[in-house]
Amino acid sequence: MNLVKVDIADLKVSADPDAIIITYALGSCIAVIVYDPVRKAGGMIHYMLPMSETSPEKAKERPAMFADTGIPLLFHTMYEMGCRKTDLIVKAAGGGALYDDHGHFAIGQRNYTILRKMFWKAGVMIAAEDVGGAKSRTARLFVGTGRCTINSVGEESEL
Amino acid sequence: MIERIEILAGIKKLPAFSTTVVRLSELVNDPESGPGEFEAVVQPDMALTANLLRMANSAYFGLSRRIGSAREAITLLGVRRVFQLGAMAAVDGVIPETLPGYGIDASVFWGHSVAVAVLAERLSKERKLATPALTFTAGLLHDVGKLVISSFLAEHIEALRSELASGQMSLLACEQKLLGADHAQIGAELGLVWNLPEEVVKVIASHHTPDVANGGRGDVVVDLVHAADCLSHSMGFGADVGGMQRQVDDAAIARLGLRHIDLEHVASRALPEIEGLTQFGRSQKKGTGA
Repeated sequence: MNLVKVDIADLKVSADPDAIIITYALGSCIAVIVYDPVRKAGGMIHYMLPMSETSPEKAKERPAMFADTGIPLLFHTMYEMGCRKTDLIVKAAGGGALYDDHGHFAIGQRNYTILRKMFWKAGVMIAAEDVGGAKSRTARLFVGTGRCTINSVGEESEL
Repeated sequence: MIERIEILAGIKKLPAFSTTVVRLSELVNDPESGPGEFEAVVQPDMALTANLLRMANSAYFGLSRRIGSAREAITLLGVRRVFQLGAMAAVDGVIPETLPGYGIDASVFWGHSVAVAVLAERLSKERKLATPALTFTAGLLHDVGKLVISSFLAEHIEALRSELASGQMSLLACEQKLLGADHAQIGAELGLVWNLPEEVVKVIASHHTPDVANGGRGDVVVDLVHAADCLSHSMGFGADVGGMQRQVDDAAIARLGLRHIDLEHVASRALPEIEGLTQFGRSQKKGTGA
């Protein structure tokens, strides 16, 4: 079993059937998980913030920090591995929120809004998602099978 | 319910906190003090000096030659940074391998502590506030109460999980319900035993209830650490059994004048520094939390 860890503001892809791509502790951050059942390849991004205009110089160094620079990069990296857009199964997890009546920390919500907007424009369907709520999540993608799991508060669920 | 005598016994079980750091914190507030005074305080504490030099010589600082003494560290990295590293070295020395009541290991606690310290300072700079020198240390130490009550909370872990699963209760409120005390209160007790500066004890006591600090008038360091704590959990540093079940204090965020754009800007700029400083913890070699 080959554990491929995706850090905050990071993305990884793999076509190793023994690989599990994993990211820990998604708070308001979102993981977009893509899987190609034809090519048997998968990828995951753990982005932290919605828009690269917040810090253009950081976006240059680490495009996976932002949804608008990172998500296209994830898809292009999959295409470079020979994957086709029409084959990709796309899932999303994270975007949690604190108890925040006035929405000061609505980063999770903003992260999710931009994701929906980008996918709508690009014609990408979200096959499954586990987003929002006062939850922290750990996401796994089993590259050999495409199985995807979410762990939160000690419980595991299939995505 | 937890008895006071049990709390004090729990405090006694922790390793001693370096008094050197307390003396350094007095120096850092004194505009008259220089590298010589710092060296005189740091040098006799062998364990702290060794840990400080290990951090100062890490690749993070990219220094071209090896630092062999506290004085050199102060000259090359500056008094403020060395003070921060000293505080980190001291905190690093008291974290147990696991905090079973919170379902995390030392590396998660450490990562969260460092993140809150870095974010509190950076939020202050973002708002162009005159950052009090103790902001970083206060951020680093804000959750030390968890080190004491983790084992008590672990005895109620099933009840804790079920309270949290009901959805609307914050982790802090759950601690109160199950133990009759929370990590902020107990942390303040610990701060007094460790003889920490008054400002730091105030932050530890009020970081979840910033509105009551200073008799309801608020306190800038308490507000900064509260905001940094919230931002840290948003970024995923410190994910524990409580997930994101933490209350944001509107008044504290309003007093600081923080908008979402400020928070996101600080998060993006702070991430590399948090990652860099987090590597210094001994606990980093032991694995990751979930």
